[in-house]
Amino acid sequence: MQLKRPPSALQLGLMAASCALLSHTARAQTVDSAEQPFELDSALLYYKENPGRVQTIEPVVSLKKDFGDQRILGGTFTVDSLSGATPNGALPSRKPQTFASPSSTSLVPQAGKKTTLYAIAPGNLPQDPHFNEQRVAGDADWSQPMGLDNNLSFGGHVSTEHDFDSFATHADYSRDFNEKNTTLSAGLSEEYDQIHAHGGNPVPGSDYELYEHEGGQTKTVSGALIGVTQIMARNWLMDLNYSYDHSQGYLTDPYRILSVLDALGNVTGYRYENRPDSRARQDLYWVNKVAFGPTVLDVSYRRGKDSWGIGSDTAEAHLRIDLGHGVYLEPHLRWYHQSAADFYDLYLSAATAAPQFMSADPRLAAFIGTTAGLKLGVTIGRYGEVSLRLEEYQQRPSDQSSALPQLQGLNLNPNLTATIAQLSWGLQF
Amino acid sequence: MRTAAEIAAAAPHAPDFQIAVRGDDLTAVCFTAMASPCEVLLDAADSREVGELARAAAHEAWRIERKFSRYRGDSVISEINRSAGRPVVVDQETAALIDYAAQCHALSEGRFDVTAGVLRRCWRFDGSDRVPDEAAVARLVPLIGFERLQWRPPQIIVPPGMEIDFGGFGKEYAVDRVLAILCTRFLGAVLVNFGGDLASNRAPVQAPWQVGVERPDTDREARLLLEFSRGGLATSGDTHRFLQRNGRRYSHILDVRTGWPVPEVPRSVTVAAASCVEAGMLATFAMLNGRAAEDFLEAQRARYWSLR
Repeated sequence: MQLKRPPSALQLGLMAASCALLSHTARAQTVDSAEQPFELDSALLYYKENPGRVQTIEPVVSLKKDFGDQRILGGTFTVDSLSGATPNGALPSRKPQTFASPSSTSLVPQAGKKTTLYAIAPGNLPQDPHFNEQRVAGDADWSQPMGLDNNLSFGGHVSTEHDFDSFATHADYSRDFNEKNTTLSAGLSEEYDQIHAHGGNPVPGSDYELYEHEGGQTKTVSGALIGVTQIMARNWLMDLNYSYDHSQGYLTDPYRILSVLDALGNVTGYRYENRPDSRARQDLYWVNKVAFGPTVLDVSYRRGKDSWGIGSDTAEAHLRIDLGHGVYLEPHLRWYHQSAADFYDLYLSAATAAPQFMSADPRLAAFIGTTAGLKLGVTIGRYGEVSLRLEEYQQRPSDQSSALPQLQGLNLNPNLTATIAQLSWGLQF
Repeated sequence: MRTAAEIAAAAPHAPDFQIAVRGDDLTAVCFTAMASPCEVLLDAADSREVGELARAAAHEAWRIERKFSRYRGDSVISEINRSAGRPVVVDQETAALIDYAAQCHALSEGRFDVTAGVLRRCWRFDGSDRVPDEAAVARLVPLIGFERLQWRPPQIIVPPGMEIDFGGFGKEYAVDRVLAILCTRFLGAVLVNFGGDLASNRAPVQAPWQVGVERPDTDREARLLLEFSRGGLATSGDTHRFLQRNGRRYSHILDVRTGWPVPEVPRSVTVAAASCVEAGMLATFAMLNGRAAEDFLEAQRARYWSLR
């Protein structure tokens, strides 16, 4: 075409719009590309506890493919490596203490057996310095609508470590009501785990000196969830969920022991921990998401209660502040409190017979955990995003000392501080 | 050898394409997409290369049809039209097309509107005399208006009752897309012709493309023979799509402000421009000007052929 005369303003506008349309989509599409893009999210998580304790670097890759009509396939793949020192459950003592690493098959060196010992200096918290764990995990989920108002999703999860394998499946159903302003959902899940500790699983509750081990064990976790999501106003969404989980089988931590102390606080021996073989847990979770223009506030509260006597409360808030130009800042605060399990204690008394169930695992103690963090996100292009999250977690157990003379001045269950840094990037192609 | 139209008629929806050699160095690829006979001419003779190009061309046209057809329940357009006021997040290509619709709406001062398709509920341009009653048309007019959509890329909110479609430029878009795809794989001359809307990268070495634009009329056969080398060419007309009652002809070009046909539109307007979408939009804008269609095209200094 030859335009001898200059084009009009309208034709210039149309030319520009047409060029933009064609150049834009020329870059985006190739002949055989599927109709919907792939979404790829990757993240690198760095987690580090107080000096000398556990640290990990965890890469996560997740891929999502929309096959149109809200039929979505998602998958996640994670590889992580945990290394460092981890408390074994025994208390600090005025005297040196010696323990065997879990990979040992005997406490004393003998032919045909393996013994790896570690010594703990007086006053120090006994921690196994050889802790090293590699984990590979993957999951896949399929979600699709059924009719106009129903949605069905199901998926599976597999993870493997050299002493623990886990397999899980879930199915969820949701139904929209009230012109999609209300969604009711229900789900069922089932998990099967195999626990086969290094050198066999210790016999729960047995005397550490006897070093008795048995074969691998299993546990199952069955869960059910019901929930309602309600759009309260144009900019306010509320979600209320109730879940019930029942665990059955080997729920004991094979690497945890307890100190056995006399009336003065001297160590007379150690015992392997022993937990009940069933646990029922209920959770009520309430979330509100409110948008103030581009700024979004997310506030939630969770109340948990289980048959071991642990009650917990979590209050959490995220505020996503849009700074314009595709940049956002997201401060995050979380407060968590739990009461101790009925069978939790710092130590066992040598004067009385050992109880049926016992554990000194700090995760079953009463404590308050607080998290404060900040995330900075930058949108790249139309769909890509890079974000950096920095958080600090503080765990303060309520029970950290004892009146026993030999334990005076010792911190029996120290605070835990962990630093978390996560770099994430997402893109569509 | 059969023509594209014959092939299309023989297998209206077959996901199939035909390849035929024409003359010395010209190969034609024919298939059906968007209810139109589609033809791609390539100045190449290597059959293996042509097979790959033919497949690429047909698949791109079918992909666009599948993705944007308002007649398919699984298209992006149907998903948007079912959303009834809920936000729908669209992909990059759909976003670019909605942006284009927004720009054309603005450039035409609101006369070109992708939400006007609701008028099909009462207007059926089948050559009959079934003109809808005024009340039925008046009830639909409030459901039209691109400005009532909330378009915040990549999210669109279409209010309940309203709908959108890309019928106003979808086929032209497919023509340009197919040409662009072929040009990334083939250095020779290409002509893409989907039911009379066409685009080319350049003319073959020997001579310009000879293009016959079909402008059949109820009274006479008016075939426009053009020499065409590069750019886009598109035709807007009401040759088969009109109603007639009491001697009055009702064109399918509707005025979105009233819901009634624009009076005194040309039977057909063919416009040449840099791309097929641009040519098609200029032709549509011209038709929306009714009696002033030619004046409009003169003012745009466009190269055009009109038939009244």
